Amino acid sequence: MLSVSDLSVRYGAISAVRGVSLAIEEGELVALVGVNGAGKTTTLNAIAGALKPHQGTIAFQNEPIHGRPPEVITRKGIALVPEGRDILPSLSVEENLRLGAFVRHSRSEYQSDLAQMIELFPILGQRLRQAGGTLSGGEQQQLAIARALMSHPRLLMLDEPSLGLSPVLVDQVFELIGRLRGRGVTILLVEQNAERTLQIVDRAYLLRTGRVEAHGTPDHIRSAVDVEGVYLGDRGRTRP
Amino acid sequence: MITLDFIVNALALGSTYALLALGMVIVYGILNLVNFAFGELLMITGYSLFVLSLGPRLPWVVMAVLAVGVAVLTSYLTERVAFRPVREHSPTAMLITSFAVSTLLQNAALLIISPRARGVPLPKLFSMSARVLGQDLPIRNLLAIATSLLLLGLLVLLLRRTVLGIALRAASDNFRMARLLGVPANLVISAAFAISGLLAGVVALFWVGRTASVTPTIGAAPLLVAFVATVIGGMRSLAGAVVGGYIYGIVFSMIGILLPPGMMEFREAFMFIVVILILLFRPEGLVRGAYSTKRVG
Amino acid sequence: MGKLRAWLEHNSTFFVLAVPLVAATGITFAIGDLLIERIVTVLFIDLVLVLALQVFMGNSGILSFSVAGFMGIGAYGSVLFSMSPAAKAAALPDLYPLLANVQLPFLASVLVGGLLAALVAAVVSYPLMRLSDAAGVITIFSLLVIINVVLVHWSRLTNGPRTLFGVERFTYLGTAAVFALLFLGVAWWFKESSVGLKLRASRDDAHAAAAVGINIVAVRYRAFILSAFMAGFAGALWAHFITSFSPYAFYMSAMFVFLSMLVIGGPMSISGAVIGTVLVTVLREGLRNIENNVNMSGILPSGLVGFTEVVMAVLLVGILILRPSGIMGGRELRWPPRHPRADV
Repeated sequence: MLSVSDLSVRYGAISAVRGVSLAIEEGELVALVGVNGAGKTTTLNAIAGALKPHQGTIAFQNEPIHGRPPEVITRKGIALVPEGRDILPSLSVEENLRLGAFVRHSRSEYQSDLAQMIELFPILGQRLRQAGGTLSGGEQQQLAIARALMSHPRLLMLDEPSLGLSPVLVDQVFELIGRLRGRGVTILLVEQNAERTLQIVDRAYLLRTGRVEAHGTPDHIRSAVDVEGVYLGDRGRTRP
Repeated sequence: MITLDFIVNALALGSTYALLALGMVIVYGILNLVNFAFGELLMITGYSLFVLSLGPRLPWVVMAVLAVGVAVLTSYLTERVAFRPVREHSPTAMLITSFAVSTLLQNAALLIISPRARGVPLPKLFSMSARVLGQDLPIRNLLAIATSLLLLGLLVLLLRRTVLGIALRAASDNFRMARLLGVPANLVISAAFAISGLLAGVVALFWVGRTASVTPTIGAAPLLVAFVATVIGGMRSLAGAVVGGYIYGIVFSMIGILLPPGMMEFREAFMFIVVILILLFRPEGLVRGAYSTKRVG
Repeated sequence: MGKLRAWLEHNSTFFVLAVPLVAATGITFAIGDLLIERIVTVLFIDLVLVLALQVFMGNSGILSFSVAGFMGIGAYGSVLFSMSPAAKAAALPDLYPLLANVQLPFLASVLVGGLLAALVAAVVSYPLMRLSDAAGVITIFSLLVIINVVLVHWSRLTNGPRTLFGVERFTYLGTAAVFALLFLGVAWWFKESSVGLKLRASRDDAHAAAAVGINIVAVRYRAFILSAFMAGFAGALWAHFITSFSPYAFYMSAMFVFLSMLVIGGPMSISGAVIGTVLVTVLREGLRNIENNVNMSGILPSGLVGFTEVVMAVLLVGILILRPSGIMGGRELRWPPRHPRADV
């Protein structure tokens, strides 16, 4: 469904991502893990069109999307929930959701989609008229995900959804991801919380300093972590 | 002397200043661009009125609508032709471009029409007064207030009830995120410039209405007004811009009667000192607006 | 000997630029045509102003709209000292007694003009150096407006919005050339100095620069003061060339000319400043020539007014679209010529 080949992204003279290749099949739950600065966010942003790749190709459903503007890529069915949520603060919760459905054209579907989101995230239903900027961190995370779902994405990309959330909320987020996966949504997940992530994903890519160090099943990644001695965030080594 | 006439005058001034500030912020909020060519849109409106008055006799309202239309078109075209290609480069490049466009438009007026002031047709209404509460109030001022309120009302409707409006507000909040949600950048930016042109055009009708003439440099003063009012309002929020404009207009009128004559000429300098102080110590402006920070949580 | 050679190579840019300027001066003297002499003299003065702009804008990346304002401070400041008491009594009858009776020789007056501009910059601008982006530009632009308002309305000092007459002509080709070369050296020295390097580091990456301990505000401040001094000095030179002027000579139209010279040449290098000044001067003279010819021949009824500016504005936008880093693209001319590589 998504194939990234030899992707390189630069910030000025600095390469944030070099020669990264990855692929995702429909219905999979795939993760990018690695420490801060490994290039995970940069990779997601390049796929979503927020960054222009210096080199390499990105194809979505066999159609090249690298270098195309973000609004076009979103129309093709890729939704990004960015790191830091990027809620539109002066818009109300409902308006944020309405904007999520921007790429869809059916008014009647919008109403039923909205109802579905409220069912999934009841707290949002209570705050529909409130400005997005007044929500708490956890609520904003839910809003960001709901907003992305409003576009019926074929590929949902989540960048550090658990960042800054309390343990209870982190549990909720991971549980939600599992549920979405169960509904057949294809998900590309970036997380620092590596161990938690490895428990739920089909496959993962381990990034370090902009390159893919290892990829494969969670077990494969875990052994790679041990062998390479790569520090993986606060859950470091997994073998006792 | 705070008479009714003075109050209406101050409010009329505030109304035009509010529209000017709005015209500037609507572009700034999305693009982070301070549009130096904004003042020239007023000049273009004035000259359009002049040119139209040379032709067949049309009702003033028709000429006014056409002239404002020219301002909207000019604003749209400057974005398409000059700003869009430069957008990717850097904010500084866009700034210099806006300065160049301003110079270009001013001198184009010099070139195509004349360096001398030209007379502008005005409706008879503008020289009439209405008797209210025992005082003669210029209808021009009352119209300015009414027109502003009408325009502001329409804008609020646009921003709150239409898809384009929500897209504009989203782009103003966080342009990058709006695009990631599928909001087409070019459409939103063109719309912003068009609205900016509309606001400038309407203000121009009242601005030239004071002197019944237009010169190539008539856009300089409104531009400065837009700067000051925008900074007072905090540069980011549209509501802030409107309030900033009213504050500036009213304060400016008050200074007019409060300052000793020797200091009067320097009041513009004072306003810009205020601008610097605000940007230094309270860059979010003097207006406590709605949530205006970008990153939350 | 090796050290001398190394020094020459390191500073080759200065010599590569200085030699043609000296040559141009010599050729102009030889030709002896008054009009060409005027054009070249003004070119040299403009060069100092464009270098003043480059010193701040090229190194810090912040657009400095106030250069024209400091030029004005230098112009008026210097004339107040260089004019004889008699001339002052005629042109500025309400002048303050303290100033009315002072007279300084030309060079001292020019120096005073420059120092006055630098002083104003020093007093006013420190807090502004904290700001970047739009806020920085607007505050610096506000300085231009404030200076203009003060110059227009402080009639006792400036004769208000009216023209100030009676300044003695002191600036000739030789004077202008000498100071242009001097400030070329100053601008080059500044760029290569530690302050210049730190400033450029902060331009390229503010966070990294701060992390290395660079005090961005202090560094910008110094550049701004130097820029103001140079602009004031050039303004003083110009005042004694043109001998009569009004405050509007130091406002937006002037700013547009200097900005286009720097941007077309390339803001990030001294070579860009020089190339831009020369190119734009030649272009403007050519265009003005066309304008005058058309106006005098009466082909067009209302004449061709503003033609020069329109063409220059189009050119400026064209450069910004097609080659935003200017003709020199940030590179310096060197001897021996190096292969293309952006100068840091």
